[in-house]
Amino acid sequence: MTAEKPIKPDKILKELSEIWSSMAKPDGDAAIADAATHGGGVLRACAMTLVSFVDDEEDSMALNNTLAGLMKEHPSRSVVVRLKEGEDFLDSRVFAQCWMPFGHRRQICCEQIEITASMNRLADVAAIVGPLAVPDLPRVILMRSARIVRAGALRKILPLGDKIIVDSELPGAPCFGELGGLLDAGHITGDLAWTRITDIRALLAHLLQAKSPKQIVIEYSGREAGPEARYLEAWLEAALPATKVGLKGTGGDGGGKPSAVNVDADLKVLLTDGAAEYDMGGMHQRAAMSKCSDEELLNIELGIVIHDPVFERALNRITA
Amino acid sequence: MSPETSLQDPLRFHRKSPPCAVVIYGANGDLTKRKLMPALYRLAYEGRLAPGFAVIGISRTAMSNDDFRERMHESVKKFLEDSPFDEELWKSFSQGLFYLAGDVSDPPSYQALVKCLAEVEEARKTEDNTLFYLSTQPSQYAEIAEGLAASGLNKGKGWRRIVIEKPFGHDLQSARELQSRLEKCFHENEIYRIDHYLGKETVQNIMAFRFGNGIFEPLWNRTYIDHVQITAAESIGVEGRGAYYQEAGALRDMIQNHLLQVMATVTMEPASSFTSDAVRDERAKLLRAIRIMRPDQVPDNAVSGQYGPGRSGSEQVSGFRSEKGVDPESQTNTFAAVTFLVDNWRWAGVPFYIRTGKALPKRITEIAINFRTAPLAMFRKATAGAEALPNVLILRIQPEEGISLNFVSKRPGSGMQLRPVSMDFNYGSSFGERSPSAYETLLLDAISGDATLYTRQDMVEASWQAVQPILDYWSTQKFDFPNYAAGTWGPEAADEMLARWGHTWRRP
Repeated sequence: MTAEKPIKPDKILKELSEIWSSMAKPDGDAAIADAATHGGGVLRACAMTLVSFVDDEEDSMALNNTLAGLMKEHPSRSVVVRLKEGEDFLDSRVFAQCWMPFGHRRQICCEQIEITASMNRLADVAAIVGPLAVPDLPRVILMRSARIVRAGALRKILPLGDKIIVDSELPGAPCFGELGGLLDAGHITGDLAWTRITDIRALLAHLLQAKSPKQIVIEYSGREAGPEARYLEAWLEAALPATKVGLKGTGGDGGGKPSAVNVDADLKVLLTDGAAEYDMGGMHQRAAMSKCSDEELLNIELGIVIHDPVFERALNRITA
Repeated sequence: MSPETSLQDPLRFHRKSPPCAVVIYGANGDLTKRKLMPALYRLAYEGRLAPGFAVIGISRTAMSNDDFRERMHESVKKFLEDSPFDEELWKSFSQGLFYLAGDVSDPPSYQALVKCLAEVEEARKTEDNTLFYLSTQPSQYAEIAEGLAASGLNKGKGWRRIVIEKPFGHDLQSARELQSRLEKCFHENEIYRIDHYLGKETVQNIMAFRFGNGIFEPLWNRTYIDHVQITAAESIGVEGRGAYYQEAGALRDMIQNHLLQVMATVTMEPASSFTSDAVRDERAKLLRAIRIMRPDQVPDNAVSGQYGPGRSGSEQVSGFRSEKGVDPESQTNTFAAVTFLVDNWRWAGVPFYIRTGKALPKRITEIAINFRTAPLAMFRKATAGAEALPNVLILRIQPEEGISLNFVSKRPGSGMQLRPVSMDFNYGSSFGERSPSAYETLLLDAISGDATLYTRQDMVEASWQAVQPILDYWSTQKFDFPNYAAGTWGPEAADEMLARWGHTWRRP
């Protein structure tokens, strides 16, 4: 085994700085002056620090594509921490993600730092990632590592972010009880399972305006209600205390996702792929629903870096 | 807590419109095809429209509901910007489209509309809320409003609003005459005068920039700002709109409405709240504070231009007078530049230069805030005078929306060599999400009853008052047109106008 080189935040920051310098250099000093006056060259953009914890097995290309997509709306210093089992290991690399907006002359670039570490080095990771955060800007943790959850180490990484985003639909995600614990401790928390039902909730809020239904039944496909169906139930219960809200499984293997919402006997909203359909006033209506890629969901969550009272009320209701 | 309140999630839900019927006069026109219908479809795509929504198109052309739907289908597919087209959604959306053939001068056509609206309300549950959108010749606005009132369509169980497009009159007197006829039919708070510039994201961002940040507003006054330049340049000529443009001209077409509204947004006092009347009160106050020129002050403070033959890039461009429908002796201005002064404590003595024109070198709309130079030129000996360059804050409206701040910086190396650099914020790259079109924003506002981005009659009159002396003076002159070649930055007189103040135009 070769001796491991120490990893220091200062060194990583210096490497980042060198990357920016090298991107500016090829055309020389004149190019920079030209960029300043005529808009060519490279534009450095940063609105937050995004720290993603993933297990080493996760498809790195898919993750990088998602992160690259996020950069357009939320340009950030992106730190990806890949965690693996096994022997003592800690390594890092830095690079820049660039793209050329259509019709523009100037590339937009964001910084990316990738740290690969064994689970027993998690404390080192925290010590490295902390100083890498861009000062004065929000810090968001994207938690996709089942290893951290299994190891009960979620709280160790919390100081690295102002907000933590999980996805309850993923295998090995933190359970509702753990999420409730984060809320109780005052952490800003987001769950992509909640984000996925935003369009459905907005439609229901619109359809139920000035209505006081007696009963709402949320149908889900599968044997057990999934996080989305449970969030929907909790949201409706919290918002409509006089309404009886229930869940009903319809079988199949839909992973427990909501498939329809029945409001009393007079309104049924069918949730199909990418749309909601219902009949109202004798007319058939179809409303487009977001397709809900990880990138789209994260774009929404990264835009909310404050406490979300509606989400927290629903989560508290589930965990009560 | 009512169900409505408790189900809302303002952090995450987009604003939705209440049920209503939108009646579009001029439904077969370009604006409906290119802007209004794509905007309404996009609102439907985003789920912003209520299930109880309908459009009734009216124009003289005879066609059925299905014909109208088919035409709109083609238009939306063709003119929808930055957005996918969903055929399934269109099927649902188009069920709410209806058509009525009628002449606005024909009283029975209004009775037909009464019947049609009743049927649509029954079928679509629009709750009798009705928005009339006049996308017609401006000369028909008053006649339509009177026709609607005579048939009782200006009142009902639900709300009534009427949207009119600029120009609101062709001078101060005609603007007042139009208003006197409109106000007999609709209340002022039911009249929505659309200025699509105010619906642009980047114009709205000016308010966010000024009043959402603490560091700029203390500098935003005569003590620190030397002068302001507002440029709205078009690289194309009138391109087929010669007949219309000949009647309007650059001063009426751009400065009286769009650019004075932009100037008001840049210079108004902070409103006490972000509510419709509070914001519009401040805009109106600013417009009323613009110094009205005496006739003898016009020649030094206003420049009229008309383009002659020239080149746009590699393309040869013919002169304005050679355009179809244009009088070969036309005295119409295709370029106008004006120096405005604002008589209030914040802006006393600061010149605001506004210029707009057709067939200029590039298409750009921007506001350049020129700050005063540093009080002591301490680096003069070591530089070529770079430190004497003023800081310029540029608010770019189009095409690459954003904000830049130009300042001087030390060049790396020994010695104190300074050079200008630019710090950029690019709206498109910092917020990659699609921006709604101005018409999406403004239509949703009108349907929701938010008039913040619409102009009020007192604002219209104040801006006419500001340009009326120029129009009056120019109407007495015979200009030696053309006085600038297509593809150049306008007549020399525009440069001389600034030179009298010791300034020069930016080359954007």
